[in-house]
Amino acid sequence: MSHVQNWTSLGIVDPSSPPVFQTPVKRIHQTDDVGRFLVSLAYRDIGLFILQLNHALCPRQPNGSSFPSVFPLGPSSTTTASIQSCQTLLSRIRNLIGKAPPDPGSQRFGNVSFRKWYQLLNAELDDLLDHGLLGETLRIGNGHAKDEVASYLLGAFGSPQRLDYGTGHELNFIAFIGCLWKLGHFKDGKQGGGIEREIVLLVVEPYLDIVRQLISTYTLEPAGSHGVWGLDDHSFIPYIFGSAQLTRPISSELDSMPTEGSVRGAPKPSDVTNPTIVEDMRQTNMYFSAVAFINDVKKGPFWEHSPMLFDISGIKDGWGKINKGMIKMFNAEVLSKFPVIQHFPFGSLFAWDENRQVLDQDLRRETTRSHSHLG
Amino acid sequence: MSDLDKAIAQLRSCRPIPEDQVRELCHRARELLIEEGNVVTVTAPVTICGDIHGQFHDLMELFRVGGDVPDTNYLFMGDFVDRGFYSLESFLLLLCLKVRYPDRMTLIRGNHESRQITTVYGFYDECLRKYGSANVWRYCCDVFDYLALGAIVLGASSTLSPGSPEDDDTEIEVCDQAGSIISRFPRQSANQPSQEKLDSSSKNTVDKTGPPGTGASGSSSGSVGNPTGAILCVHGGLSPLVDTVDKIRLIDRKQEVPHEGAMCDLLWSDPDEIDGWGLSPRGAGFLFGADIVKVFNHRNDLSLIARAHQLVMEGFKEMFDASIVTVWSAPNYCYRCGNVAAVLELTEDESGTGIFQRTNGDVGRSSGGIVEPRGGPKNGPARRYRVFQAAPQDSRGMPAKKPVADYFL
Repeated sequence: MSHVQNWTSLGIVDPSSPPVFQTPVKRIHQTDDVGRFLVSLAYRDIGLFILQLNHALCPRQPNGSSFPSVFPLGPSSTTTASIQSCQTLLSRIRNLIGKAPPDPGSQRFGNVSFRKWYQLLNAELDDLLDHGLLGETLRIGNGHAKDEVASYLLGAFGSPQRLDYGTGHELNFIAFIGCLWKLGHFKDGKQGGGIEREIVLLVVEPYLDIVRQLISTYTLEPAGSHGVWGLDDHSFIPYIFGSAQLTRPISSELDSMPTEGSVRGAPKPSDVTNPTIVEDMRQTNMYFSAVAFINDVKKGPFWEHSPMLFDISGIKDGWGKINKGMIKMFNAEVLSKFPVIQHFPFGSLFAWDENRQVLDQDLRRETTRSHSHLG
Repeated sequence: MSDLDKAIAQLRSCRPIPEDQVRELCHRARELLIEEGNVVTVTAPVTICGDIHGQFHDLMELFRVGGDVPDTNYLFMGDFVDRGFYSLESFLLLLCLKVRYPDRMTLIRGNHESRQITTVYGFYDECLRKYGSANVWRYCCDVFDYLALGAIVLGASSTLSPGSPEDDDTEIEVCDQAGSIISRFPRQSANQPSQEKLDSSSKNTVDKTGPPGTGASGSSSGSVGNPTGAILCVHGGLSPLVDTVDKIRLIDRKQEVPHEGAMCDLLWSDPDEIDGWGLSPRGAGFLFGADIVKVFNHRNDLSLIARAHQLVMEGFKEMFDASIVTVWSAPNYCYRCGNVAAVLELTEDESGTGIFQRTNGDVGRSSGGIVEPRGGPKNGPARRYRVFQAAPQDSRGMPAKKPVADYFL
């Protein structure tokens, strides 16, 4: 393995000796395989990457400064070329919706035109990934990287067969961005938090917005829905990053993620049950943006259709506490659940290989810390 | 007022009953259900209902629309629990009514009436949240194992209101929740191909001739195959391992729903526009086509299979020349699907010329010299679908927040 490993962020592949790229394949065939997944390099890397993005979104307040810096959603303009290339990709993907209008005929539930949309995506995938800076990044390893990365992108928008979408698809998008990170695509951004924030606010949130449009346009069913007893019918990641945006500030980049408290000026967790505040906050915060979408599509009392989010809104220890809980829950309910993780494919970047890397003492301690944080 | 009546009153107001009462109720229900066969015989009139999924307020709406128990005879085709907020109250109320009025309430098992499924899809979490322990979930799961796998409805009339001539040729009637008729579809005569008949008698376009839920196509109105047969009710559908109703009777049902085999298929399969059998995208059960249904109905003297298991936007959907119907009784499913719900009413035959009792699964049985009349109306059961929407929600107060899941402690 020629990864340059750094505990705080996902390693980047050495371009002079890239791994042997491969089309990702499913490895989790039965419940017992989940345990094996939890000691794989892929699991370590997914966890590391999500914690890295999460940490970057936490407000900053260096000692002595009177106001915290917060990182709300906002205008999508950026001068970072790697981010622009992802935005171009996403806007081209969004435009495909116009080319596959929903079928007006009677259907049981999910709209069959989603299959047409998916075919369009599949047909344009090569071209989408050959384009501009993205194309340059994916030319590593004589172009074989592209096939590996493409399958995560294709898997990120729901199932054309079942006409549904769920957290497993969302995980594929995180893996897609993670692949680009590993291939050094985001080297041009401001390292040490800035590029991570741009990834989440300017790439992940627009992705979630496309997904919401797909769900509404083609009435995609929640994949494996727990009904009112799940966190959300379709999404998980916005609750992690959205709570991070509102957590108590850290004073140094070396500080670990606070596990309680909120940044000054943050809405109260209980504001989640107030539709007016949710509507106001949806433009700036990912958690509220996700709740606002629930309010858009669901009819009925919030406490009844979303009892878990309702109960969480009663937490007294602030958004830091919610953020910590969301990460633990993501680990248990997404990464550790067979029905979700069975569909995740493994290649050279998110590898099935066991995580046997020998770590020096510091590294080992920090990894244990981040893993206990994750678990 | 007996304890049981008190429990019914309490559950009707959507308040759970204490754990010891649940244990007692489940015990009595099990004693009752153990006496039932795998396929319960039910005599019309009966109102057939599909998935409920813990939508308690909508179940109350169903009783308002379909009539209260015991005035109306009900048959619920499973999936009482999971996904909704009130699986517990919904299932316990149905179970109380079953114990109180055993002859007026038939409950059959859905794929969600299972330990494994309820631990994933909400009922387990709900019991834990409402009682602080899994005991009630365990009591309920023990009842699930005793639920029948299907039902046969006998004595259904081929007319909706015996004695009133204007209704005599009505095969399908669709009513709204106030009981007003939305649409009514006359029976077609048997000697004319249905398409031809519909083309000449209807001003509608060919692809919009059927009532909502009947597939909206000219081929879906009017029973073919076995117009005088009984109606089989089952949650999911057919199984390649079951070619006669009697084979269902041979299953040892008192167990957790297996991952494969006849019992699994009956609870998991779906009809689909295919020939023969296909793999199910659900990962359990099979897909089965029109040919499978028609052969099965013919062989078993059935005029119709009623099943649930799949959300249908219009509450019901007849397929394959009305040889099978999906009934869905959870309106605005999961608070978001925007669908209406329906129940299927089969009326009682009082004339003696409708559907009467026969042995089912009697393969190769002689027709007894009865020749299907040509030119006259066909004798399949007349069907009244009562369509209803989600219950109004303004009256539901906000409860206190509960302690959060362990992740957030």
